[in-house]
Amino acid sequence: MRLSQILALTWKDLKIFFKDRGAVVLIFLQPMMFIVVMSYALSGIYRSGEDRPIRLLAVNQDQGKQGAALLRQLGEMKGFQVETVWEGQPLTREKVERLIIEGKRNLALIFPSDFSSVLEQSPGNQDRKRTKILFIVDPTTSSQFVEPILGTLQGLLERTTYTAMVPKGIDYLFERLAPQTSLPERKAFKSRAEETMSGGMLGEREPLVTVEKVVPPGMRVGKFPDTFQQNVPGYTIYGVFWIVNLLAGSVLREKREGTFRRLLTAPIGRAVMLAGKMLPYYIINLVQLLLMLSVSSLLFGMSLGHSGAGLVAVSLAVAATATGLGVLVSAIVRTETQMSGLTVLLLLGLSAMGGCFVPRFIMPPWLRTVGLVTPHAWALDAYQDLLVRGYQFFEVLPKVGVLAAFAVLFFVIGVWRFRFE
Amino acid sequence: MAPAPVVEVKGLVKKYGDRIAVEGASFSINEGEIFGLLGPNGAGKSTTISILCTLLPPDGGEVTICNCDLRRETDRIKTLIGFVPQELALYPTLSAWDNLAFFGRIYGLRGESLKERVASGLSLAGLSDRAKDAVQTFSGGMKRRLNIAASLIHQPRILFLDEPTVGVDPQSRNFIFEHVERLRAEGMTILYTTHYMEEVERLCDRVAIMDKGRIVALDSVKGLLDLLGGGIIYAGLPAEAARKLQPSIESLSHVRSVSAQDNRLKIETLNARKALLELINLCNEQDVSILSLEVLEPNLESVFLHLTGKRLRE
Repeated sequence: MRLSQILALTWKDLKIFFKDRGAVVLIFLQPMMFIVVMSYALSGIYRSGEDRPIRLLAVNQDQGKQGAALLRQLGEMKGFQVETVWEGQPLTREKVERLIIEGKRNLALIFPSDFSSVLEQSPGNQDRKRTKILFIVDPTTSSQFVEPILGTLQGLLERTTYTAMVPKGIDYLFERLAPQTSLPERKAFKSRAEETMSGGMLGEREPLVTVEKVVPPGMRVGKFPDTFQQNVPGYTIYGVFWIVNLLAGSVLREKREGTFRRLLTAPIGRAVMLAGKMLPYYIINLVQLLLMLSVSSLLFGMSLGHSGAGLVAVSLAVAATATGLGVLVSAIVRTETQMSGLTVLLLLGLSAMGGCFVPRFIMPPWLRTVGLVTPHAWALDAYQDLLVRGYQFFEVLPKVGVLAAFAVLFFVIGVWRFRFE
Repeated sequence: MAPAPVVEVKGLVKKYGDRIAVEGASFSINEGEIFGLLGPNGAGKSTTISILCTLLPPDGGEVTICNCDLRRETDRIKTLIGFVPQELALYPTLSAWDNLAFFGRIYGLRGESLKERVASGLSLAGLSDRAKDAVQTFSGGMKRRLNIAASLIHQPRILFLDEPTVGVDPQSRNFIFEHVERLRAEGMTILYTTHYMEEVERLCDRVAIMDKGRIVALDSVKGLLDLLGGGIIYAGLPAEAARKLQPSIESLSHVRSVSAQDNRLKIETLNARKALLELINLCNEQDVSILSLEVLEPNLESVFLHLTGKRLRE
C-alpha cells in the first residue's frame, strides 16, 4: 500500500514538473550554462600555455642587440607571446599605455635605449651606468598572475646580463693579471672579480638593470592593489544581485498568499504598489554595499580610492540595476521552481561572465566581449576604476550611465510584463 | 418603503478568451442585508465578487456601488468596500498588530485613530492578548478572525466575503458565522459567496443561485425553498404502470402535481414524507413494483438540483 502511494505521489509530481516547461528548461539549461561559462572562463588557468599564451606588449628602444635578444628568448618560451607591432605599426610607449588603459592588454615591457650599453660596459669602469626596464601593468591585474611573470623576466634578464658581461670580465682579468701586481692590489682585484663573475647582473652592490613595475599614466595608485581591492568589488557585486532572488520571492509569496489581491482592493495604485515593493530592496542593496565596503576598509585596510562621490554614484547605480533586474525576474517567473532556477542561472551566470569570480583579462576575447552585455562587468569595472585605478568622479560617469541604462531597461520591461494577479 | 440598494449590477459580463465566466448577471443588494451568491465551483461567483471588488474589469454591463460607477469611480469605491479573500491574506512573520496597522496605513489611518482602529480590530477578533505574536504562531481559526478584522480596519460600508469557510474547521466556521451575524446587527451590508447551502440558509436574507456564469434564481431563502413546495419525489415505475397510476397519484392528498420526466414520474408534493407514504401504499394496493425512488427535501441543495439538474458539489 505504502509503495503504491509513494509511486502515485512520485508520478503526480513528475507530471506537474514536466507540464511546467519553463522550469524544465531552467533545470536542464542552468547546469549546462554553468559548465560552459566556467569552463571557458577558467580556461586561461587550466589550459597549457601553448594555445593560450600570456601576451606581453613590448617596446624595444634599445640601440644595441641585447634588448632584441632578450625579447627573442622571451618569445621563444612556452606560454609567452611577445607583441612588438599592433595593427601593422611598431608599438610605442604611448601606444602600449593606451592599449592597457583601454583594457585590450594588461602587460607591457619598455626596454630603455641604453640597455645594451649598460650591459656591455667594462667591469673596470669607475662610474658604471645603471638603467631600468619598465614593466607596465594594469593595476586590476591579479598579483598572483603578475608576480610569476615578473620572476620569469628577472631570470631571463639575469642570464642575459651574465652572458653579456662575462666576455668583458675576462678581458678585464687579462688586462689586470700581471706579475708585478702588488699584494693589496691582488686582494682587491680578487674581490672585484669574484663579485663580477658570480653575480652576473650585480655590478657594485646594486643591479645594473632593474625592472620597475608601473601603471599607465592617469591611473593614480600609490601602490599596487591588494587582494581585497581586487576581490571585494567582484564578490560585492555578486552579492548585491542576490537581491533579485529576494525580490522575486517576495512578489511570488504576495501573489500566492493573496496579500496582493487584498492590497488591490485598497485605494492604492499599481505603480505605488510596485514602487513600494522595490524601494525596500533598493535600500537593502545600498546598506549591503555600504557594509561590504566599510568592513573591507575598516577591518582589512582596503583603500577606497580617491573619490567618495564616485563611490556613491556607482553604488546608487549598481543597486538600481540589481533592483531593476529583480522587478524583471518577478514579472517573468510564475512558480517557485522557475524563480529559483532563473535566479541561480542569472546570478551565477552573469557574475561569472562579468568577471566577478574570474578576472576578465584571462578570458578568451569573445567571452570578454560577451561579458559586456552583463551589468556586472560594467559595475566591476567602475568599482575597479575607483578603488584600484584611482579614477575620479567624472571619469566613472560613463560607466554609471551604462549601469543606469541597464536599470531603466530592466525596470521598464519588468513593469510592462508585471502581473499583480 | 423598500430599503435603498447599495450595490446594483445590471447585465454583468466577463470573458476569459472564448470562455464566458459571467453572462448577463443582474442583481441588487440592499443596505444592511446579507446577500448570498450560491453556486458550485466554476459558477462565476469569484469572478463576480472580483469585479465588484475592483480586482477585474468587467467586459460588459453596469455596476454601481453606493451610487458610484465601478468603471469611473474606482478609487472612491475602494474606500467603501472591504474584501475578505479565500486565502489568509496576511503576513505570517509579522505580528497581529503589525498586520492590522499595515492595512490601516494603506487606508490612510495614522496616529491615534490608527491605534484605536487596530485595538478595536484585535478586540473584535478576540486577539488582544496575542497582539504582539507573529501570525504564523496562530491557529487556523485565529488567522481567519484576523483575516476578517483586516478587512474591517477602515470601517467599510460593504463587506465582500469570498468563500470564507473553505478549508476551515467547524469551530472556526461557527466563529465566522457569529462574526457575520454580529456585523449584520451593526448594519453592515455583506455579500457572501459560498457553495455550502447551510451557510446561506443560516446567514443570508436573499440568495442568488449561479450556474455557468448565469443567475438561475434570486429570492429570499424562503422564496427559493417554496420553488420545491413540500419537496419532490422522483419515482421510477414500469412504463405501463406509471401511465395507469399517474391520475391516482395526482389525487393523493399530499401531492400537488405529477409529470413524466426521463422515464420517471416527477411528483411535486405539499409534504414529501407524507406523500411518500401515500405513494408506497398505493403501489402496494395496485401490486406495482417501485424500480427507483429519489426524494428531494425542501432545501437549497434540492432547489439547485431542481433548477440545474446537478448537485452543488459536483
